[in-house]
Amino acid sequence: MTAIEIRDLAKSFGSVKAVDGVSFTVEAGSVTAYLGPNGAGKTTTLRCLLGLVTPDSGEALVDGRRYATLPQPVSEVGAVLEATSFHPGRTALDHLRILCVAAGLPDQRARESLEAVGLGDVADKRVGAFSLGMRQRLALGSALLGRPKILILDEPANGLDPAGIEWLRGFLRHLAHEEGAAVLVSSHVLAEVEQTVDNVVIIAKGRLVRQGTLAELTTNGDSAIRIRASDTATLAPALEAAGAAVDRVEDGLLRVRGLDAEAVGRIALDQRVVLTEVAQERSDLQKVFLELTGER
Amino acid sequence: MIGLVKAEVRKLFTTRLWWIMLLVMLVLIGVNLTFITAFAGVTSEAGGAALPARDTAEWVQTAWSVGSGGSIFVMILGVVMITSEYRYQTVTGTFLTTPRRERVIIAKLITGALVGLLFALVALVLVAAVVIPATLLSGGELSLSESRIPQVSVGILASLALYGLFGIGLGALVRNQIAGIVGAVVWAYVVESIFTAIPVLHPVGKWLPGGAAQALMSIDVDTGLGRPEWLPAWGGALVLIGYGLLFALVASATTVRRDIT
Repeated sequence: MTAIEIRDLAKSFGSVKAVDGVSFTVEAGSVTAYLGPNGAGKTTTLRCLLGLVTPDSGEALVDGRRYATLPQPVSEVGAVLEATSFHPGRTALDHLRILCVAAGLPDQRARESLEAVGLGDVADKRVGAFSLGMRQRLALGSALLGRPKILILDEPANGLDPAGIEWLRGFLRHLAHEEGAAVLVSSHVLAEVEQTVDNVVIIAKGRLVRQGTLAELTTNGDSAIRIRASDTATLAPALEAAGAAVDRVEDGLLRVRGLDAEAVGRIALDQRVVLTEVAQERSDLQKVFLELTGER
Repeated sequence: MIGLVKAEVRKLFTTRLWWIMLLVMLVLIGVNLTFITAFAGVTSEAGGAALPARDTAEWVQTAWSVGSGGSIFVMILGVVMITSEYRYQTVTGTFLTTPRRERVIIAKLITGALVGLLFALVALVLVAAVVIPATLLSGGELSLSESRIPQVSVGILASLALYGLFGIGLGALVRNQIAGIVGAVVWAYVVESIFTAIPVLHPVGKWLPGGAAQALMSIDVDTGLGRPEWLPAWGGALVLIGYGLLFALVASATTVRRDIT
């Protein structure tokens, strides 16, 4: 089921095209990473989706509707935007109680949400004394108040310590895979999301450059095999004869494309050449990311 | 809408500014009352009394109207209620919860008026606690009709409520907290006092919020500069409501609709 749909979305600020004709979808029960370098247009896309920014053209829909027309928005969509959006003189619990009463939710949801994000002990502390990581947790707590089935997070790992990031990963995976939520999480740091996400949407300079599953992106293109062998002078022509493209990287080291590891092994056996190392060269996401966003 | 008003009330009472404002208002009114009580009936060398004596109905009316001094604090509170949302970016959460932004503005207008009423009630309690004993101890009589206590009290309640509304409208229009507060203070203490103190400017001044608030209280005291021609009380109320709603409407059509980035 399509939970989020972005269609031909465009938004300019002055002469800067922040988002320029972006389209993608996010399905229920999955975590989708929205990736791109800083200034690529991620935040603008998410704010259009949440009705905070009015797009110039195109549509951004949640559950097939514009956010502003949802009758109970916080019960359908939870959003974590920037970490600073709290009044420093107000307590964590009061922040959430205000949102509860405005959204028509029972007050006890405020405490439940704080417990869920691990802030139960500091519920009555003023937010001014909170660390960045605690504010991020509080922002997530406010997003969870209405038990939404769609969660939108903008750079949620900013300011979290490694333990916090690990916790967030588990939390998002649990929401998507166990509770069937659709999770869209933006990031400019690939390593943060690589272990969490099912799908990847990559954007650069306001334009969409790729959408696919994590597996599709990493196996795409040239997957090569690195081989160390006793006698590369014999092996290389034989591999080429079998249709492979062979780079002689250095003495005793070959980089082979067009054959899988088993085929390479059989040819080596035929040629009575000893393989001392066979390694699948996985084109990793970071490399794909840098290539696609033109930042290499 | 009740939920939204409740949310606005919670926003106000979960931060500290409201009681600081209330305290400052009480101190200011207290100081004013002290002067008015101390110098009542004191004659100057020229022979005329600057203030009527404590046992007169005129003094009661003058002293009672000191309660209207809370209007500036209510106005500032109104400005802050809306501009602090932009300053601390809580407006993001507010508009995510209530994407129909004009509903938020309406809830804030209602809350601003309620807060004005609350401040007015507290101010009136203080005024009553000073003025009633003062005039009775000086041998005066407390005549409600002659001292116009009911009219002045209603005027104070109405004008503070409407100044709350006015502050919200102003804040929505300006969005910047410092600009909003400075604007409100300059307006109240400089612009308004020029237009209400100088008789020639009264024809303009009576249409300004300050003049409208004076009209609401319909104080009938000769200040020595000529008896100002205020609007009728209901006219003053309409003018104040008009300003608040006009600002709020203009703001809803312009600044409130802007992108939240």
